[in-house]
Amino acid sequence: MQLKAGTKLHSSVCDTDVMVIKGSGDVALTCGGAEMVIARNGASGDVDPAFASGTAMGKRYQSADGQVELLCIKPGKGTLAIDGVPLEIKAAKALPSSD
Amino acid sequence: MPPLTHGADAVLDELRRLSDARPLRAIDAATLMTERAALCGFPMAGAVSAGGACHILPVRDGVIALNLPRDADWELLPALLEDDQAGASGWAGLAAMAAGHEADMLIDRARLLGLAAARADRMPPAETPMAWMRMAAPAARPLSVGPLVLDLSSLWAGPLCGHLLERCGARVIKVESPGRMDGARRGNAHFYGLLNQGKQCLSLDLADPADRGHLLDLIATADIVIESSRPRALRQWGIDAEQLVANHAGLTWIAISGHGRGAPQEDWIGYGDDAAAAAGMCVAMREAVGELVFAGDAIADPLTGIHAALAAWKGWMAGGGIFAALSLRQVVSHCLHRERARRGDAMRLDLARWHGAGSGQVPLRAIDRPVGAVGEDNGALLCARLPC
Repeated sequence: MQLKAGTKLHSSVCDTDVMVIKGSGDVALTCGGAEMVIARNGASGDVDPAFASGTAMGKRYQSADGQVELLCIKPGKGTLAIDGVPLEIKAAKALPSSD
Repeated sequence: MPPLTHGADAVLDELRRLSDARPLRAIDAATLMTERAALCGFPMAGAVSAGGACHILPVRDGVIALNLPRDADWELLPALLEDDQAGASGWAGLAAMAAGHEADMLIDRARLLGLAAARADRMPPAETPMAWMRMAAPAARPLSVGPLVLDLSSLWAGPLCGHLLERCGARVIKVESPGRMDGARRGNAHFYGLLNQGKQCLSLDLADPADRGHLLDLIATADIVIESSRPRALRQWGIDAEQLVANHAGLTWIAISGHGRGAPQEDWIGYGDDAAAAAGMCVAMREAVGELVFAGDAIADPLTGIHAALAAWKGWMAGGGIFAALSLRQVVSHCLHRERARRGDAMRLDLARWHGAGSGQVPLRAIDRPVGAVGEDNGALLCARLPC
């Protein structure tokens, strides 16, 4: 699927929604083992047990090379992965020094 | 007079009356509201906040305030504006791009992304006063020993609340995470020292079950807890504020947020300038000086810290069992509507005069108690509980 910063993507097998923070081009992005979609199409399937560690609200997920970064805006049961490799959780942002 | 100082001084007066604390006598609202800008040499706020991180941005159908205090916030701008180049050319480029978008769409997306944004061109009507504000002044309690306060907060509003309680005679323990200390430690050292002097410093890693246990033990013995985390951040560690207040009869819990508890606003972040804009402070300035500008320096922070201290002290005097949720936006809204109702034209003149003259001189407060390093008191505070 084509990634672009700001695009919202939905899991086709669980409740997960993400927003693309970083990344472009054609990427094989899956959640729960099934390809993510731009518009929910009503299709339903089961979360692949091999990709079922879940997503957490507000966490940022990135690929090992740092080229793709996603923000979880709705949590679900599936694991986010690219080419079958699970994405890693990025550490929380440091607090600002002032506002 | 900086904006909204009348109401804040009235709150400090009540805290002085209830606590009868000598160190509070030397503290006035104008000083608390302007000391950071004076220490940091911040310029007068205009369409850019005094601290520089929050900007008023005209967009297609209105005007928003967008606050980007962290470098990492800029990484999110391509997603906010759906443009890979967003943020690459600083605020000027950002303003040009934002101009083509609708206010509500930008604010909704900013909130999803964890950025602080609000409409700057609206003044929501006055709300029903929060429960803690209607709390009756309690009967005097014998004050032989001050309350034990756990201060889990960071930046300005929460630490100021802890500081005022310390001035009232409380013993305050500041709790930080080893990997995520109070960011204000990296800011102006004198300002940090003013708000955190005299607090014991404990460092606990909530990802570690043993440390989580220490925190829950401390909460069980505390009279007052101050925190400014989003509820989901504490819940992920099994810390449920309302439940803890229900289980510990003597506890008063001060929960400081940007926009209040409950879905969806408890997930929105807010800082002093954007939350004030959300409450209508920029509109009040437009009524006074003809343009949408910020008022004061992150004005919601010191106002909330002052109100939170009174709520905490009253809760403690009443014997606890109080859960007081204060949002930066709600506190400014309360102060703004109260002052408009009571002073009307006089308030407008004050705002115009203040905007024309700048913050003026405030006496610089001295630091008279030690300022602890992160976790400096871990040994003393944890050894009492552990064989070590």
